[in-house]
Parts: sequence; C-alpha cells; structure tokens
Amino acid sequence: MSARPGFDPASLVSGVIVILLGLVLLLDQADVIDMRWDYMLPAVLGAAGGILLACGLTGPRRRG
Amino acid sequence: MPDEPDTQPLPGDGEEPRPTEPQPQPDEPAQPPRPRLTRSSTDSLIGGVAGGIGKHLGVDPLAIRITFVILTFAGGLGLLAYLACLVLLPSDDPEAEPLQWGLWRTLGAGLLAVAAIAILVPNWLWGPELGILLIAGVILYVLIRVVRDDGASHVSGIAARIAIGIVLLALSVGGFAAAAAGSALGGGIAVAGLVIACGVGLVGGAFRGGARWLIGPALVLSLPLAAVAATDLDLRGTWGDRTFTPTTLQEVERGYDMGAGSMRVDLRDVEFPPGRTTLPLELGAGEIQVLVPDDLCVLTDATVRMGAVDGGNDEQGGVDLDIVDRRAVVPGTPTVRLDVDLGLGAVRVGDYFTDRHGPGEWHLDDTTGYDPAVACAGTP
Repeated sequence: MSARPGFDPASLVSGVIVILLGLVLLLDQADVIDMRWDYMLPAVLGAAGGILLACGLTGPRRRG
Repeated sequence: MPDEPDTQPLPGDGEEPRPTEPQPQPDEPAQPPRPRLTRSSTDSLIGGVAGGIGKHLGVDPLAIRITFVILTFAGGLGLLAYLACLVLLPSDDPEAEPLQWGLWRTLGAGLLAVAAIAILVPNWLWGPELGILLIAGVILYVLIRVVRDDGASHVSGIAARIAIGIVLLALSVGGFAAAAAGSALGGGIAVAGLVIACGVGLVGGAFRGGARWLIGPALVLSLPLAAVAATDLDLRGTWGDRTFTPTTLQEVERGYDMGAGSMRVDLRDVEFPPGRTTLPLELGAGEIQVLVPDDLCVLTDATVRMGAVDGGNDEQGGVDLDIVDRRAVVPGTPTVRLDVDLGLGAVRVGDYFTDRHGPGEWHLDDTTGYDPAVACAGTP
C-alpha cells in the first residue's frame, strides 16, 4: 500500500475504527442501545482485528 | 561513626591500606582470596556497610541497601543490622578491586536472605506485605540500576527492558482498572467520550506522520468499558455483605438494591398470603442468596449478564441469561416471584443454611436442595 510521506494510513483506519467503537459504547451508556455479550464481543474483536490488520498491512509508521 | 572494636590501628577514613590481610593456609587450594568483610570507603552512602558487604559477597551493594531498607520495615531489623555492621566492621583499603557482581548472584543472595529470615523469625511477614515489599524492592532495584546505567552492561540492558515492561504493565493495569471502575460507577459516557477522542486523535495524527501510540490508550479505555457495558455492571449503591430480614409484605415488595457484594435475604419471618408476591432484587456484582421456608413456592425470574442462577433444584450459567420461571403453581399457594437483575455473579435460593461467622452471617448450604417443584405443587 503506497502512502504519502507524513501520512499514516494505519492511524487513519485505526482512528475510524476506534471512533465507531466509541460511538457504540457511548450509545450503550446513554441507554440508546443495549449491547450484550452476543454483540459486544464481536464488535470488540472486530475492532481489535481491524486495527491489527491495518497496522500490519501498512508496515512501520512513516515519519514526515 | 563508631570506632572499630578490634585492636588494629585506627585508619584515617580508610586512606591507609590495612596490612593485616589473613594469610592463606598452606593446605588450601590456590584461588583468588575473597575480599575481606569490611566497610567500603569507596562505595559509601552512609558508612560503607552495604558497599563492603556487597564487595565481600560479590553482589550488588544496591541490593544490600534495599535489603536493609526492607528489613527496617520488619520491626526495625534492618536498622539494627546496619548499626551492628557499622560498629563491628572495620574500614577497607580504598584501592580495592572493582566490584564483581551478577544478576543471578544478586537474586540468589536476596532469596537466601529471605529464606534465612523466614527460618530465624517464624511467622515473620508471611502475609501479603512480604510480597509487596519484595516486589517494591525489585522494582526499586531495577529502576535505580537503569537510572545509573553504569557502563551499559548486559544487566543494565535487561534491567531497562524489565523496567519499561513494568511501567507499561502498571500503566495498562491501572488504566484498565480506572476505566472499568469509572464505567461501572456511572462514568461510562465520559470513558466512551475519551475513546472517541482517541479515535479523533488517531485520524488527525494520520496526516502528521501517524499517532499509533493512541491505539494503546484507546484499547485500555474501550476494552473494560465494553466489558462493563456488556455485563451491564452498575456498582453504584451499597457495597459489602448485607443480610436483609424482612418481616412484612411491604418490605418484601419494596425489594433490595446493592452495588456490589453479598446480598442475603431471609424470607422465613414473612407471612405470605395466598397468591403471588414479587420481590425485586438488584445487584451490580456479587452473590444473591435467598433463604426461604421449605414450603414456600419461589419462582425465580432473573436477568443475569454473566453468572449463574440456581433457583432451587437446577442451575443455569453463562452470559446474557434471561430466565423466566414458568413453573405451574397450584392456585392459592403462597408464592414469591424473585425479580432479579444481576450484572455479574450468582443467584441462589435455598432452605438450609450454615452459620459462617456467627449469628446472622449465614450461608446457603449446597448439600440440601430446596425444591420449588414440590413447594409450588401445594402443601403436602
């Protein structure tokens, strides 16, 4: 995966994943949704897997 | 500093070489002589005791110093030992050879010291404080060794990695605990906000070379919050062990609510009328025990996010339990419906108990089982 100098796609992907996970948690804490283990576990594992995948695919961090 | 107790001439602060080295016996094998047990004038913080002992034993004087400090917390033993050494040990030659010590010898000496203390002083510090002191000593040793980093030795490299690992581990554990406690105590929205902030920081940092270090804090915050959210853990309220003994129907119908701990409800003093009475029970984390007379029909409806429910003659466990007791009840039978909301833990119903810590501190017994099927079938 090519990338501009100073741009770290892994951080971008990880950030988006973290924001989505945080939104889900926020909605649960605000009692808008009710996340149980059946949904929470896949969500957390998916988020962790996505972050690891993003970091693994993009390689070491580029410094601009 | 006290004078030396022997008859040798008093050295001037260790500047004069001591001419009284013990001569090896003729029948001893030829080997380098072990440095005499003296106070060091070159490796000295107070009186050179630790430096001298370290040189004599071939261990790091820093470990000796920390051992003295630890022993000082054990009834002043370390201070007494240090003072004794200060008085009894003579000073040494400032031209002594460099210290030779190793990690394993240091560790071995430390373990031997603990073993010796345990043998000499039975029951000394065999509590959690011993482990805490030892861990504190190891951490202190590693950190000081890293800060000094004399010579970038192999030991220093290992110590540096251990120190960094310990610090990161402590930060992670502390962050996990803080996030979990904050979420369970009603701060979940704030923790979720911090997770989102980490995500925004990651996105923004992506265009400035990356900010992957924010992944760590994001996970440290989000994982315990996710566990708390999935468990629906709410620790607000009373904590500890509580025994409730209602005597009226009104008390039963008001129910009980606790944050965490052991909730024991004794229903034996209540005169239940024919028909159904609901007892609401809410607990964030812990165990709910309900003690009932053996002829009382109890229906257990429970929502348990993680744990187990034993309504009398059966037990169900797992996550996301939504249990509705649809047992058939003979009309007119006094019946209590338990409406349980439990985040993490167990619910048990029984008619037999044992005293654990005295009157009022009962605990449901596993050996005899209350059978609601019999009680709900009507009085025999």
